[in-house]
Amino acid sequence: MSKRLTILPVMCALLILTACAKPPTEQIEAAEKAIKEAQASGASTYVPDEYAKIEGALAALKKEEADQEGKFALFRDFGKVEQLAVTAKGDAERLKTEATKKKEEAKATALQAQQAAQEAVKATLELVAKAPTGKDRAALESIKADAEGLKSSLNQVQMAIDTEDYPTAQTKAKAIQEKSQAVSEEIKAALAKIGKGKPSAAKKK
Amino acid sequence: MSGHCPRITRAILGWGALALAGSLSGCVEAVPQDVIEAVENIDRDLMELRAAEFSPNDYTQFTHQWMALRTRVQADEDLIRWPWEPNDLEVALRRLQEEGSHTVARLTKERESLRRSAENKIARVEDRFRMMTLQVGAIDSRFVLGQRPVETDLLMKQAHAFYEQGRYDRSLDASDRAAQNLATQAAVLSSELGRYADRGRISQWQQMAKDTITWSRIHRTSAIIINKADRILTLYRNGQKVLSYPVRLGFNGIREKHYQGDGATPEGRYRISNKRGQGQTQFYRALVLDYPNVDDRRRYQLGRKTGRIPASRAIGGQIEIHGVENELMAQTLGCIMLDNTQMALLYDRVEQGTPVTIVGALHEQNSVALTLATLDDRREET
Repeated sequence: MSKRLTILPVMCALLILTACAKPPTEQIEAAEKAIKEAQASGASTYVPDEYAKIEGALAALKKEEADQEGKFALFRDFGKVEQLAVTAKGDAERLKTEATKKKEEAKATALQAQQAAQEAVKATLELVAKAPTGKDRAALESIKADAEGLKSSLNQVQMAIDTEDYPTAQTKAKAIQEKSQAVSEEIKAALAKIGKGKPSAAKKK
Repeated sequence: MSGHCPRITRAILGWGALALAGSLSGCVEAVPQDVIEAVENIDRDLMELRAAEFSPNDYTQFTHQWMALRTRVQADEDLIRWPWEPNDLEVALRRLQEEGSHTVARLTKERESLRRSAENKIARVEDRFRMMTLQVGAIDSRFVLGQRPVETDLLMKQAHAFYEQGRYDRSLDASDRAAQNLATQAAVLSSELGRYADRGRISQWQQMAKDTITWSRIHRTSAIIINKADRILTLYRNGQKVLSYPVRLGFNGIREKHYQGDGATPEGRYRISNKRGQGQTQFYRALVLDYPNVDDRRRYQLGRKTGRIPASRAIGGQIEIHGVENELMAQTLGCIMLDNTQMALLYDRVEQGTPVTIVGALHEQNSVALTLATLDDRREET
């Protein structure tokens, strides 16, 4: 009888201990949520190395959790899993901040390049519009198509911005700005040539 | 006896301490630091190669393994093992180090190959673009291509920028699209100017020229033939060639004229309807042609009916052979322009009613047909 009384508390203690060794679900979910938010903020694009590592850390965490789950209940220890989840959450939050900052910087640079391109194209179109009418206009007609082409290309920059592809938007905008400046120079040269003659009135041709 | 006991105890303690020291010195770290550093270096190499960006699957595979092993390293870092104990973690790390080294070597090779491809593609497409610009300029057909040349130029600028940024895949993509754009330009030129390479059409033009020369011979008078492809004006007298001058055409002169403002120079049989001397024209001297003739009007009406000519466009007129107002002007709005000295000579040798026949080309090996053939040959090269 006394032996039974001694074993009973030990068994109870074991059961309590076993019942306590549960995975830190809340911390794991919090880490997963933070990683998803980091991805949504553009971490996989703007900090791809670190994002890949944090995904790796999450996979390691899940494996550790599965390993512990596979052990005999008495020997389970989720302390390491909890520690990994807390670290992953902290890292993901840091990545989210960093990615958001980099994305904002890329957006600002792309918008700046877009504005510069728009101004350059506007200047080119103004030069075309200033060209005299009539015979003298012939020298500029073939350049006019270039100016119109540049104007159409600005839509592609806007499309890249709309899809948040800021590096591409910036590259396209810079190309347009460069070409627009070159076309403006070409128009100025043509205007300088025809400017030597007096502008004539439009005639049927 | 009493003196022996402490001696034995001391001996036992001494040997025990020696055994313990020996045992401790035989123990080893769970994972040697050099293996961890080697894997960290591989990770750095992969980051320098921007593997996460350019080969995400490889980098994900590596980092997943590395993160799993690093977790184990951190868990085991305070442990020591006996030298004879198997060390799975070290084995796994060494395997990752080996696999990682292979990945770094492979990605380095692949990136270099991609870089070379991008570099070569840029060079090839640029070369073709340069050649096409020259050829198109030589036959005055830039206007035919509309906005396409500027689109190609923008794509090539992007290809360069992406190359400089190390984004070789995007550079290749931009070059590819530029090459496609060039192929489209070649197709547009073939479609718009194909008649310069069409034997049937060339025969018609040859017949028109022959008729004009015959007319000059029969009526013992002057006649003018203008060859648009070669940009040559030839004056005949009594069926004999008297002189040939180079001419400049409209900014879209290589095309057939359809309506006012298209910049094209008309093709057909015309006559000089009016002569304008100095003071009567801004272009030194001018010979006004009777454009539009009956054929032009019929073509225009058909174009309007089929919708090829916008309703807002008139048929145009005032097509002249004239001199130069401004020596620097390279093109006209559709007229035929000569240098003033040559215009003066021509002006004196023709009269009102002189026939002027304007044709596209007079032989199959004309400049436009040759250019189109070259563009077709080079299309496959990019």
